[in-house]
Amino acid sequence: MARDRNAEYNYQRPVRRILISVLAVFLLAIFLVWRIDSPRVERFRAAFIDRVVPSFDWALVPVTKLVGIVEGFQSYARIVEQNQELRRELQRMKAWKEAAVQLEQQNAKLLAQNQVRLDPKLTSVSGVVLADSGSPFRQSVLLNVGARDGIVDGWATMDGLGLVGRISGVGETTARVILLTDASSRIPVTIQPSGQRAMLMGDNTAFPPVEFLEAPEQVRPGDRVISSGDGGVFPAGLLVGEVERTDGRLKVRLSADYQRLNFLRVLRSRPAEEISEAGGLVVAPAAASATGEAVAPEAPVTAGAENGAGDG
Amino acid sequence: MVDPVASARLAHRALFLGLAILIFFVRLLPLSTMPVVFPGPDLLLCLTLVWVQRRPEYVPAVVVAAVFFIDDLLAVRAPGLWALLVLLGTEFLRSRETGFRDLPFLLEWAVTSLVIVVIAIANRLVLALFVVPQTGLGLTLMQVLATIAAYPVVVFVSHFAFGLRKAATGEVDALGHRL
Repeated sequence: MARDRNAEYNYQRPVRRILISVLAVFLLAIFLVWRIDSPRVERFRAAFIDRVVPSFDWALVPVTKLVGIVEGFQSYARIVEQNQELRRELQRMKAWKEAAVQLEQQNAKLLAQNQVRLDPKLTSVSGVVLADSGSPFRQSVLLNVGARDGIVDGWATMDGLGLVGRISGVGETTARVILLTDASSRIPVTIQPSGQRAMLMGDNTAFPPVEFLEAPEQVRPGDRVISSGDGGVFPAGLLVGEVERTDGRLKVRLSADYQRLNFLRVLRSRPAEEISEAGGLVVAPAAASATGEAVAPEAPVTAGAENGAGDG
Repeated sequence: MVDPVASARLAHRALFLGLAILIFFVRLLPLSTMPVVFPGPDLLLCLTLVWVQRRPEYVPAVVVAAVFFIDDLLAVRAPGLWALLVLLGTEFLRSRETGFRDLPFLLEWAVTSLVIVVIAIANRLVLALFVVPQTGLGLTLMQVLATIAAYPVVVFVSHFAFGLRKAATGEVDALGHRL
């Protein structure tokens, strides 16, 4: 049973044990460094993925397409009913299109009358999904655009319909998009028409919940959820989805087609201009000093009066 | 000068690396970007545990550490931690390989399951200790169960497709030492 080779070369075991310990300590050190200085290690990760994943590209694309074709064949079976369904949908959409055109014209007129200045139009970079996160615990995809194309961490990403996620991790030719469904995704949103601010908290399910609502009773299923632009991370007004109520919780049915994320648009957002200093007092030299003195003594008097009222 | 034992070892090491790359590749395919309800088994972990208990010399510790570190990087996990735990788990099984060689399969399965569970729990504990945000416990549990369930399948495939058997009595390695 027992090995008698220990007798033959005794030196091997301790050496091996030392090597294993060195390896283990090395891995532990990487983990600790990651915990202490996450951005540096994440940059390394982005660079690594940037080198590795595009080299899979020649095989990733055909296999994905092949599976798509097989799925396409399966859907041939119900192509007739699908066709009819699409026709009906098209009819409805035409009606909506008319309404939208009219509303757009009306909106343009009203905006012109009010002389409102809207955000400058957002420009975008389009990319193709290369790969997904490769783990059931993270929801992210890898795009084939990166620092070379001017992508910057934190930019919003949309498909044709709605918000998909935000850029997190940029390599030279690839960028990772953390999807709204990822457990680490937190997006400030506004719920229309009630106009309430809330947070969309990704939780690894297809329908992320809305949290931190001030008045949940004012929100109904079917309300539109758009990004609010709070915190300056995202541009405001991007469509996110629709509110849904399932077992008492408010959740969001995302507008973006998460089943088929293929082409994504990364919105170039410029950092919002900050107003850094308080406006200087505009003081007219002579008159202002007079009114200033006249107003100042009055303030304590009104405060006192209010206190008195409160006591009584 | 081509020694059959050494060349078989080299071929199997290459095969292990090839299988690992294949698993990475399949995982990266952007087939569905919906959140999954039921995560599949961690095939890479399963494969490594099977091979370590059949032929430890085919999966040296350095290869295990490297493969799982790459896995950490690709799967956006905390880099190093999962690799470290798997390395310790495989070292535990490796050091007892000669003793476990004569165990019936069910016992081997039980011991391996225990190792998988311990690795998963240790992973969650360390992450919690370092206040790293984690996903729900349910997903982890389901993946652990799926991995344990996949173990016999991987053993079967390794046995018949890749000819991976436990060392028989009297087998020798490339230098003529008994295994």
